[in-house]
Amino acid sequence: MLAAGINDKYPDPRKRLIRIAEIMKKHNPTNIMREAAWKISPVITAAFTDIETVKEITQTLKEEDLGVSIVISGLISEIKEAVKEVGLNMHTVHLSLGTFGKKELLPSKKTLEITTMCGHHCTSSQSVEYYVKLIKNGKISVEKAAEKLAKPCVCGIFNISRTIKILNELVNQS
Amino acid sequence: MEIREDLCTGCGRCVIVCPVQAIKIIDNKAVIDKNHCVECSICYRNAECPVNAIKSRRLKWPRIIRNPFSDVIGTHKLTGIPGRGTEEMKTNDVTNRFGTDEYGISIELGRPGVGTLLKNIELFTTKFSQIGVEYEEMSPVTAILTEDKVNIKDDVKDERVLSAIIEFKIPKNKIDQVLQIIKEVEKEIDTVFTVGIVSRVMEDGSIPIIDILDQQGFKVEPNAKINIGLGRA
Repeated sequence: MLAAGINDKYPDPRKRLIRIAEIMKKHNPTNIMREAAWKISPVITAAFTDIETVKEITQTLKEEDLGVSIVISGLISEIKEAVKEVGLNMHTVHLSLGTFGKKELLPSKKTLEITTMCGHHCTSSQSVEYYVKLIKNGKISVEKAAEKLAKPCVCGIFNISRTIKILNELVNQS
Repeated sequence: MEIREDLCTGCGRCVIVCPVQAIKIIDNKAVIDKNHCVECSICYRNAECPVNAIKSRRLKWPRIIRNPFSDVIGTHKLTGIPGRGTEEMKTNDVTNRFGTDEYGISIELGRPGVGTLLKNIELFTTKFSQIGVEYEEMSPVTAILTEDKVNIKDDVKDERVLSAIIEFKIPKNKIDQVLQIIKEVEKEIDTVFTVGIVSRVMEDGSIPIIDILDQQGFKVEPNAKINIGLGRA
């Protein structure tokens, strides 16, 4: 992400962001922000399935020294070790204390595991239930259903591989 | 949003994608509950309505305030970034917004996927005014607070949004007071909210706030957003 008023004063801020997007794309993300948005968004996002890939990307970003802030979301313990191995230290963390208040208004835990992949909550809980039903009735494949559920997430951070895993669990448990 | 009754065939695609369940099928037509709708535009963009019955209309004040708090595509005039949040810790290696003697706090009302009336923000801000916190100037929530930062401006109080993030920072010695307020509001609020704590990481890689939170009865999730320090001014 470019820091507003600071990094956007680079002579080539967009070029730097697009370079980051290209590096991420080269490492086969399970999802990535669509290319049309690379040209306008102040942040570029992608989702990966394993920490080794994230480590490789971090190594490349360190070597290319683009001067743009990089944020990794995932298990603290894994990320701490991964960045240490490439000679970096975590700078700042945003910890989550979870959900409070009227939790009885929430859908099932498994459904939430899917819908909360989009931090802007663009994927609805009833769409998860709808696609689970379609999968059970043989009307759609799990892979296609995961793609459909990821579609509203314009940031491209919705983890399609993980969604496939959770959808399989939901189909098999009920 | 509006659904043209004369065009709607009642197929229900819009009902499925609505994140706050504001659309129902009544007499074979999709009908939007205008009070419950948060103007996120998700039905407009994702329902793939076969008869193009979903229409995006120009909203009037104060209803228009629902959109930047709900629509990820809408870039808020104040923050300049898409979505309802700010850069917060994502660029802290460049901005030093959160120093080593401070914590950042984000309280996102209505998340995940329940929504909230903007007046619920006051449950927190009236209490925070008694301990003194430094609100994030670029936050859309700060922009709708009264000048004394105690209340929400009257004309937008009853507007419903997908979520609203109260963002502020405090000196480290105020963390217990903030946690106490969170415990109090949890008992009286009619929606859900999530809580995030921003902290700098020590040079040895440790994060001491995790133990402090644990002692106060708050369990830190194993996953987090982590700025890895590659940005520079």
